[in-house]
Amino acid sequence: MSSFFAISEDVTTGEIALIAMAGEIDYAVSPQLRERIFEHIEAGRRHIVLDLSAATFIDSTAIGVLAGAVTRLRGGEQMTAVPAEGAGSLAVVCPDENDKVGQILRITGLDAGVGWYGSREEALSGLALTG
Amino acid sequence: MVAQECSLPASSSQLASARAYVSEAAAAFGLDATSAYELVYGVNEAVTNALRHGAPDAGGMIQLSVSDEGDVLTVTVRDAGTFRMPMPDGPAPGAEHGRGFALMTRFADSVQVCIGPWGTAVSLSKGRA
Repeated sequence: MSSFFAISEDVTTGEIALIAMAGEIDYAVSPQLRERIFEHIEAGRRHIVLDLSAATFIDSTAIGVLAGAVTRLRGGEQMTAVPAEGAGSLAVVCPDENDKVGQILRITGLDAGVGWYGSREEALSGLALTG
Repeated sequence: MVAQECSLPASSSQLASARAYVSEAAAAFGLDATSAYELVYGVNEAVTNALRHGAPDAGGMIQLSVSDEGDVLTVTVRDAGTFRMPMPDGPAPGAEHGRGFALMTRFADSVQVCIGPWGTAVSLSKGRA
């Protein structure tokens, strides 16, 4: 039995990359997520939107990837600090109904370092406002 | 008593099988859905640790066993490597590693670590309501 997951992406503007992940995000998948996110950062995209609406499971290694990405997007600053002017950001799309994933974001403290949105549209318009 | 045991190839592609195995055992034992999910979550972290920091046996496998005593179900993950102590205060917020053990203790009723020359065994227990 192998886990079900899907990764897709859609670069919406030069500075914003959107990645959607569905299914179970465990250690079999998180290295691919890391590679994908860091490719975007290397390519100069400052804002990453990760849509977890259809994710059913997220483990500690995926949370670690996201925490590392926040640190990297903020130019090495810890994610609890106030981001510097012009710093990049990670936005996570996770609607309230997805309480399994939302719970893990909260108890690991990742919610303190990311923009948390209920829908993809809200995330993209939130980023457009803050630039 | 050991109710059941299985060996899994030490590969991240087996994590879904490990979760399914524990999920079935939890349902058969009568854990409610939330407790079953929490036990599965914790065991997934223990298996992940065994894959990342531990070592498989000579046959390339790690062991999972399920036992019950009264109203408590216990799942043990065994590997042939040495245990890596978790950081007592947890990782820095932006660190990439170091969250697995805290999640295990958060979701299991108890976590026991047994270390010997043979390797490491991590046991997670969950009670039935």
